[in-house]
Amino acid sequence: MDEERKIGRRRFLSLTTWAIGGVISAGLAIPAIAYIVGPALKREEAQDWIRIGSASKVEIGTPTLFKTKIKRRTGWIVNEEERTVYVLTENGRDFVAMSNICTHLGCRVRWIAEQEQFFCPCHNGIFAKDGRVLGGPPPRPLDRYEVKVEDDQLFILGG
Amino acid sequence: MSTRLGNWLDERTGWRRAWEAIFLRKVPKVNWLYTLGSATLFVAINQIVTGILLTIYYVPTPDQAYDSVQYITTEVSAGWLIRGLHHWGASAMVVLAVLHMLRVIFNGSYKFPREMTWVTGVVLLLVVLGFSFTGYLLPWDQKAYWATTVGTQIAGAPPVIGDTILRIVRGGEELTAVTLARFFGVHVWMLPAGLMILLGVHLYLVVRIGISAAPKREE
Repeated sequence: MDEERKIGRRRFLSLTTWAIGGVISAGLAIPAIAYIVGPALKREEAQDWIRIGSASKVEIGTPTLFKTKIKRRTGWIVNEEERTVYVLTENGRDFVAMSNICTHLGCRVRWIAEQEQFFCPCHNGIFAKDGRVLGGPPPRPLDRYEVKVEDDQLFILGG
Repeated sequence: MSTRLGNWLDERTGWRRAWEAIFLRKVPKVNWLYTLGSATLFVAINQIVTGILLTIYYVPTPDQAYDSVQYITTEVSAGWLIRGLHHWGASAMVVLAVLHMLRVIFNGSYKFPREMTWVTGVVLLLVVLGFSFTGYLLPWDQKAYWATTVGTQIAGAPPVIGDTILRIVRGGEELTAVTLARFFGVHVWMLPAGLMILLGVHLYLVVRIGISAAPKREE
């Protein structure tokens, strides 16, 4: 009984007001945070095999450039995006598909035929033809796609 | 600990006096109808918070407005809730503001010395209606499009100047991307600025003058 006496009417109402205010604020703040970060936490949709072109076009021993357009949904917009892939084969049977995105800061690398190297113009990153880093700041080799060949058509796994 | 922090802050900002003036002021014996103003303020805060959140995804162009709203409603986490709160809050805002005004009229609270509170309140109601009108177009669905077609047509009704008003409201002859963009600009920049200023004055006057007592039977 004594304990109850200590909380007067005024104090009780004050505490109740704060409590209700807190509940309402949290009730809005929690969904608000989910709302803001939600799309960022969504993983990319399932990957799919993308046809990039004919395997016979790949020159043996030289990375060959393939460009293909894919439809991609970002937010509420469906965009055509270009996927650019360098494909390398040493024997005409086993293929390696490499992204042309520099592993340093995301610029596009380009194959320099005379020097037999990939060169990134942003910070002078240099890669060997199989994607190994030869010089400059890139922290790891060029990213590779999974590849398959069906009826002379090259496919890469991507989204 | 919190008392010490409060004292430290109070020495430098004098927040306690402001707090007491706003929240611990003397209030005459009144009834629940006197909470309608606070209720309107509560919904206004809800509209501000949810409205700011909606602008994170909403895009005010004819080719994307509808899709971005659908994206908010169906794909963003709690997007349905944020949009729903803003949607229903909009209606609640108008209803509560009008009820608040009726209470002020019936109790004669607009009389001296509260005329300016009343005047700012009336303009605030107009601002709220402006919010309703401009916000209604933003989802850019059939209802929004045709409601605004009709609404702007009404603005064009007065003789002589009607056509000019219509053109200014629509930003041209037809309801177009220009209309959508300017309705958005008015809805999220101009009206909020007006709301803030008027609301500031309105609340300052409420705090400064205090609220009126409920009239007694014999008066």
